[in-house]
Amino acid sequence: MSGITLTDLTKVYDSGAESVVAVEDLSLSIEDGEFLVLVGPSGCGKSTTLRCIAGLEDVTEGSIQFGEQTVTDYSASERDIAMVFQNYALYPHMTVRQNIGFGLKLSTSLPSAEIDQKVDAVAGMLGITELLDDKPKELSGGQQQRVALGRAIVREPSAFLMDEPLSNLDAKLRAEMRTELQELQANLGVTTIYVTHDQTEAMAMGDRIAVMNGGVLQQVGPPEDLYRHPVNEFVADFIGSPSINLLDATVQSGTLSGPGGFTYTLDDSGSIEGYERVRVGVRPEDITLVDDGENTAIVNVVEPMGNENFCYMELGDVEITARVLPSHRPAAGDAVPFSFPEEAVYLFDPDTGEALKTKTDEATDVAISA
Amino acid sequence: MREQRRKDAVWRFLTYTFVLTATVVMLVPLYWMVVAASLPQELFIEFPPRLYPGTSFFENFTALQERANFVRSIGNSVFIAVVYTVISILLCSMAGFAFAKYEFRFKEPIFYVILATLVLPIQLLVIPLFLMMSQIGWTDTFRAIILPWLANPIGIFLMRQNMQSIPDALLESARMDGATEFQLFYRIALPAMRSSVAALAIILFLFQWDLFLYPLVILEDAANYTIPVALAGLEGTQRVYYDQIMVATSLAIIPLAILFLFLQKQFVSGILAGSLKE
Repeated sequence: MSGITLTDLTKVYDSGAESVVAVEDLSLSIEDGEFLVLVGPSGCGKSTTLRCIAGLEDVTEGSIQFGEQTVTDYSASERDIAMVFQNYALYPHMTVRQNIGFGLKLSTSLPSAEIDQKVDAVAGMLGITELLDDKPKELSGGQQQRVALGRAIVREPSAFLMDEPLSNLDAKLRAEMRTELQELQANLGVTTIYVTHDQTEAMAMGDRIAVMNGGVLQQVGPPEDLYRHPVNEFVADFIGSPSINLLDATVQSGTLSGPGGFTYTLDDSGSIEGYERVRVGVRPEDITLVDDGENTAIVNVVEPMGNENFCYMELGDVEITARVLPSHRPAAGDAVPFSFPEEAVYLFDPDTGEALKTKTDEATDVAISA
Repeated sequence: MREQRRKDAVWRFLTYTFVLTATVVMLVPLYWMVVAASLPQELFIEFPPRLYPGTSFFENFTALQERANFVRSIGNSVFIAVVYTVISILLCSMAGFAFAKYEFRFKEPIFYVILATLVLPIQLLVIPLFLMMSQIGWTDTFRAIILPWLANPIGIFLMRQNMQSIPDALLESARMDGATEFQLFYRIALPAMRSSVAALAIILFLFQWDLFLYPLVILEDAANYTIPVALAGLEGTQRVYYDQIMVATSLAIIPLAILFLFLQKQFVSGILAGSLKE
């Protein structure tokens, strides 16, 4: 077991005339036994980062360390790590037993009886003992997923790398496997880097989350930190579901004015002193529908979730979302007044996206979106 | 609904009729070959022809053996074709694997040059190959028949196309499991390509089995003759021994029939590989 340290990791794909920077100057340190989630939109460089750590891609610049050991130039097989792929990558011509035991057979000199023993133990742990003699094509998606996990676990590697391992499962199974994976990781205590584009998965699973965009690391931290104190508009927008409401506003002596006649007076406007324009952000759960308020929006659609309603409204040319009690169910076309507390307001620099103010309320009683 | 069902029925009738006709057209000569092999020469040229087997098969066979030792030719052909097929499968699939899954300089040009060799007819190669073989003293040897065709462009092309369907993640996964590059090939890629290999085996086997002009030029001793060369020898200058030729051809298709029976299932799925979404 060991921690993983990335220092100034850069990966450039050079295809003759054109070169694409997939990962830029990424420095990140993952502690021993930590569950780190790399999250970001498609093409943000998260998978490339993972593949560099795995040794499946050469690094253009920078270094990768496992514990004290620099492994930048090591081949994938020399790194003592296991990877779970998105499509599981099970060997189609081998039985489940052979699939799980393949790595041990190749990389160790264990006698086959001992390999069988280990395979049996892992299969027992994952509840796939009765599938050991089946071929992958006879298994369901969830079972294949377990076999892929078994293949990683059996080698007792120093780290697990997982590349969107749950994305091929249906929603219910995905939620189940999410919990199971977390328990498994906690029990084994193996350093894990988990790549996903799904922020819900990231929030639910990670000890810490690293958000990437355009090959650049945006922010690393515990899920709640990222949610409450994003460093920029991108992180604020990416983390949280439904996502944060964002609108342009002009600033005039502490009063924000925006689309659809939006006005909001800040008691403390210190953070935006000198700004004429800002981007304003409010989380859907912080918006409350009131009987009488300064601001009014027109209801578009109400999505009942059972325990709450998502109320999609139009404010000028901006759509905003409110997460409200199930008893609140305005009709489409209704003009509803709304309000939100100043502590819940995020403010961002309109040009750089940098956060000027994030949530200042003490941990609220509102459940954090996960 | 009803209209549709009637249409379907008509189509099915037409399809079966067509397939049945084609089958009969193909089976009749084979049947006639076996019948003719069992007839004495004088009945063979009878008109109208006899449509049921006679009793002279073994006499014809004995005569054939005395004249040409045809059983030995079958042995030669089987030996050459099997050795050739095994080695060529290995070479073609390794080359196909490299072209499909590795990046290297001039990969595309090299591949197209290999493909381009397909346009060279064997007739064009026979003389230069013969000169080469006689220079290194290989004339009248089996290795001279096997070696020149080992890197078969059709085989390389077929294996490259099929190897491309192996997901990269499968190979990467094996790499992380500690497999060497050669282990990737023979433990992952080759077994995953079983049906393509079966199809390729039939193609290569048939290619070598049917080769005539080149062995005719290379082989001198009648004891080394392959089936096509031996068959050609049965057409004497004075007289054509039809009965013996029919016995010989009847025997010659037996190894092929056995091969196809063994590989049929994989062959069909190999031909269809990649054409259907699974």
